[in-house]
Amino acid sequence: MKLRLEKGRIIERNEEEMAAEVRRLEQSDPPKAAHPPTDAYWQNLIIRTNARIDEATSGKALSLSWAWRVAIPGVFAIVSFLIGVHYYVPGQPDERVTVASVLSTLPSAAIDSLLLDPSQIEPTLSVTEIGGEMFDFSREQIADYLAVNGNTSAAADGLTEKEKDEIFALLETHAGVE
Amino acid sequence: MEPLSDQELIQEVREGKRRAYTELMHRYQERVYWVARRIVGGHEDADDVTQETFVKAFLALGEFRGDSSFFTWLYRIAVNLSLNTIRKRQVLSYLHESELLGRFLPSHDDPSERVEQEETATLLERAIAQLPEKQRAVFVLRYHDELSYEEIAKILKTSIGGLKANYFHALRKVREHLRNEIETGKGPDHRKE
Repeated sequence: MKLRLEKGRIIERNEEEMAAEVRRLEQSDPPKAAHPPTDAYWQNLIIRTNARIDEATSGKALSLSWAWRVAIPGVFAIVSFLIGVHYYVPGQPDERVTVASVLSTLPSAAIDSLLLDPSQIEPTLSVTEIGGEMFDFSREQIADYLAVNGNTSAAADGLTEKEKDEIFALLETHAGVE
Repeated sequence: MEPLSDQELIQEVREGKRRAYTELMHRYQERVYWVARRIVGGHEDADDVTQETFVKAFLALGEFRGDSSFFTWLYRIAVNLSLNTIRKRQVLSYLHESELLGRFLPSHDDPSERVEQEETATLLERAIAQLPEKQRAVFVLRYHDELSYEEIAKILKTSIGGLKANYFHALRKVREHLRNEIETGKGPDHRKE
C-alpha cells in the first residue's frame, strides 16, 4: 500500500515536471501563431448555430430523422423476419402428405379415369376451370377409389396416426374390409 | 441582477425559450471551440464540431438528467464529435491513398491549404497532432483545460488509472516532439527566417 502511494507520488511529480517543461518549450513559439478567431466570428457562430438548430428541428428534418432512425430499420426488420419465417422455419416437414400427393402416387391411367368421370366435369367448363377442380373430390370418392385401385400402404407412410385411422375407417366402411 | 444558473437556463429552454439557449451558447462556445480545435487540429473542423455540438445538445436536452454539470455533458459531446472527425478524416485519407478508390472520390485536400495549415499551426498543435486520438483528448482536457482526472473520467467515460497512463504517455511524446522540432530548427526560429 505504502509502496503504491510512493509510486503514485513519483508519477505525479514526473507528470508535473514534464508538463512544466512542455509549457516552457511551448513558450518559445509566438502566441500569435495560434490565430484565435475574432469577436465577429463568435457572434456569427451563434447565428449560424441557431440556423442549424432551426433546420434540424424543422418538420422535414424531423421526419427524415424519424425515417432514418425508426421507419427504415423497422421495415427492414419486418421484411427480414418474413423472409426468415418463409425460408427457415424449423420443424416444418418439407413434404406434407396431401390428397394431391396421394393421388400422384397412383397410375396415370387411374387418374385419367377420375378426370374423365362425367359426374365430376361439366361439359361447359374451360381448361382452367377443370384445372382448378382437378383434385376437388369428396373424401368418400377418394376412399372408394383408393379401396379399389390405390397403393394404400405407400400412401399411409407419410400420414399421421389420426389421418390413417380416418382413412382406414373410411376404407373399411366403403370396401367392407374386416 | 444575478445571472441565471445553467440549470435555470436549461429549464427555460425546456419551456420553449430559445433565447435561454443562446445564452448557454454564449457561455460555452469558446471553450467548446478550443477543445475541438486542439483535438481536430484545424479551424474549419473545429467550427463545424462546435456548431454540431450545440445542435446535438439542443436536440438531446430532454435527456439531460443533470447527473453531471451541463458543461461536462457538453464537453462529452464535443470530444466525441472531435474524435469522430479525426476518424472520418483518417478513413478518407486512407481511401484517397488507395489508387483505385481515390479516383472515385472528390478531392478532399487542397495541398496549398494543408501547407498553410501546417505553417500556421503552433509548435504545440503540431505535437498534439502526432498523438493517438485517446491520448490527444486526454492531453487537451488535462493540459489545456486543467480538468481533474475525475472530470475527465466523466467526460470520456473511462477509468482514472487509464487516464493517468494516457496523459503520462502523451506528455512524454509531446515533450520529445517539441525538443526535436526546436533542436532540428523546425520550430518558431526556423519559421521566422
